[in-house]
Amino acid sequence: MCIRLDHWPIQRTRVERPELDGKPIVLCETRRGTRRVAACSAESEALGIVVGMPFAEATALAGATEFRLETYDPSGDREALESLAVWCARFSPLVGLDDSPAPDSLLLDVTGLAHLFGGEAALAAAVVHDFARRGLAAGVAVADTPGAAWAVAHFGQNTDQENAKAACDFAATSAALRPLPVEALRLSDDVVELLHSLGIYRIGQLESLPREDLTARFGPQLLERWDEATGRRAEPIRAQPQPPELRAEWSLEHPTTRRRTIELVVEQLIGEVARMLVREGRGAVRLDCRLDCHSSQTVNLSVGLFQPTAAPRHLFELVRMQLERAWLSEPVSAVSVEAALTAPFERRQEELFADGRSWRRPRQLAGLVDRLAGRLGRASVLRARLVRDAQPELAYQYEPLVQGWPGGNTRRGLGGRALGGRALGGRGLGGRGRAKRAPGTLGPGGPLRGTPATLPPRPLRLLARPFRLAAVSIMPDGPPLQFQLEGRPERIAHTWGPERIETGWWRGRPVRRDYYRIQTTTGRRYWLFRDLAAGGWFLHGTFE
Amino acid sequence: MYTTSRKAACQHCHLAGAKPLSNSVPIQSRDRLVEALREQMTRLETARRTGDDEAVVPSGCQALDRLLPDRGFRRGTLVEWLAAGEGSGRETLALGTAREACREGGAVVLLDQAGQFYPPAAIRLGIPLEQMIVVRARGEADNAWALDQSLRCPAVAAAVAWPEKLDGHAFRRLQLAVEQGGGLGLLMRPQRARHEPSWAEVRLWIEPLSSAAPRAGRRLKIQVLRSRDRLGGGSVEVEIDHETHLVHPARPLAHPTDPRRAAGA
Repeated sequence: MCIRLDHWPIQRTRVERPELDGKPIVLCETRRGTRRVAACSAESEALGIVVGMPFAEATALAGATEFRLETYDPSGDREALESLAVWCARFSPLVGLDDSPAPDSLLLDVTGLAHLFGGEAALAAAVVHDFARRGLAAGVAVADTPGAAWAVAHFGQNTDQENAKAACDFAATSAALRPLPVEALRLSDDVVELLHSLGIYRIGQLESLPREDLTARFGPQLLERWDEATGRRAEPIRAQPQPPELRAEWSLEHPTTRRRTIELVVEQLIGEVARMLVREGRGAVRLDCRLDCHSSQTVNLSVGLFQPTAAPRHLFELVRMQLERAWLSEPVSAVSVEAALTAPFERRQEELFADGRSWRRPRQLAGLVDRLAGRLGRASVLRARLVRDAQPELAYQYEPLVQGWPGGNTRRGLGGRALGGRALGGRGLGGRGRAKRAPGTLGPGGPLRGTPATLPPRPLRLLARPFRLAAVSIMPDGPPLQFQLEGRPERIAHTWGPERIETGWWRGRPVRRDYYRIQTTTGRRYWLFRDLAAGGWFLHGTFE
Repeated sequence: MYTTSRKAACQHCHLAGAKPLSNSVPIQSRDRLVEALREQMTRLETARRTGDDEAVVPSGCQALDRLLPDRGFRRGTLVEWLAAGEGSGRETLALGTAREACREGGAVVLLDQAGQFYPPAAIRLGIPLEQMIVVRARGEADNAWALDQSLRCPAVAAAVAWPEKLDGHAFRRLQLAVEQGGGLGLLMRPQRARHEPSWAEVRLWIEPLSSAAPRAGRRLKIQVLRSRDRLGGGSVEVEIDHETHLVHPARPLAHPTDPRRAAGA
């Protein structure tokens, strides 16, 4: 079976950044000094942009239409596809990537498996459905050989359902391949060009040529690929190695609600998982603990970690903190513990704490962050990132310090590395993960390196929503002289400004404000603005 | 509390082999002995406080340092910053201390329960973004727990919190936590806390002052309400520069009838 993921780099970008959905995306790479389009979405293609086009030309074609520019990252695409292959173990034990330099499809050996899903068509439907749930559009074809499946998946005219039935013996495979273009044989561009120049466009036409001469005239690749597709020559699928399962289970003979017993079991299981982790040389970034209750009800506990760890005591402490708050209404009959997300640990430690200056005692810090995130929730323990945006409330973003959520990046070590790795370690703003994703955009947004000197004066406390005030100013566009705060009038002694901020039109919520830093006669400092669009004065922050 | 610990220290000296006091000692030498004991006690006390100069964090404001017995804040202690109302400028001062505390590494944890902390302003004050951890707990209990945990962690150079209510027990727990962790606990307290018991080593009262001209820096009055065991410790008027955020003693305000001013100099 072959699973085709059209425009894979674009699909991956969309899945990682859902806000880009429906917008034209262009991925660029720099080759021999010129920026060229490496991949583009269907929306961009509609504008006339094609792969290989110089970037400047693409910009000209786009005209007024705004599109997102990202950097093409083939290794990232491959890694994401590899992790997808691991996930595909649900369909087949043997999953591999196609062997082109920029793979966009997965090859699965489904021999003898179809009946488990209720037939090949049902299997194909299941694959398409499960991929769709991950936000990916997949095309599927089943055939006797990986080559034929690839060919049908990419060049077949039929729907996925019909492609599923392309499975066949040698004669039928050859017949199915016959009407397909020669490109379907996964040939290199120059071979395809040569065939075209000789007027050979379809695979069927090859059959009329003397077989012995093919190698001499077109090189060995053509015959190899053709034989692989028809099944004359075996083509192994290079299986993506499945990571070992880091999981331990225990079923209790006598279901119990006694917390002490459950805790002991959990502790023991965590010990087992920790030993497996140590053997693998990895640390857990996310640990899931499942308690199966007597009547099919389950309690799921999940612990995210700031830094990969295989220390059983630390892991147990974090799980116990959640266990204490979990409500066990029924006796627990089985417990399982799984390291759902792991990262190699020596390497990460080096990267994360290469800069010894900024983090004293990294281990304790990781412990603290884990504990805080464990009790308060991941979204409550944050680090800030500056964003290039003129609107003050959007000039920064919070990111959880503990990553490690289920997604396409399982086992890639993304969990901590992208986050903790460089970003915290020493490079300051925007670690590797960021730099990879958002190096430049045509619209505003994207990360910003912040130095104290380049930042405008801002209050230490900013109200989430500007607060409307009654203020008096003499001149219609002038600074305020007096305002009411909590019912009492405050006289203004000094003002600095205005700082005009006009932005946000591309978000559909334009902002036009004149900001003033003001000091009252009692020496208190506030940040006020006049809304130029709607009129009126607002308090936005205090210089604490 | 300190009187009892002092007594205890004297007994320790006694046990440690210091000469026992007796009535027959002449008054002059008794004075000398008392002096020697006092010195010994100070040494013991400072030893308990891990003792070296590195354990003192400058406040980021030299004028304030001069008012403090240790010429700064000792690591492993709590510092209370009291002010009435908002917009006073005390957080600018407190974050200046946090900046000094994390200069040699270590994290600055901000327990921003109100959700109003604005990171870009803190970066402008010189706190490195990569050393900043913001904790947004929901609820008073979770916030207090998070503060306790942060203070207890040796990797934290300073924890900044805005506890509204803090009873004696909770306060003492925080003090023990910070002693264990060895960082600084910077607590922003409301005005009414002035009359509540405190376990902070230093207690400061910040008051904004009106400045003479818009060009001049921001003027504040810092009053030391308590430092270590001493009640009251003087006050100083400082000025914070708009651009550099350096804090320096305020120049006395020019009198409106200053002859130089009148002459237009």
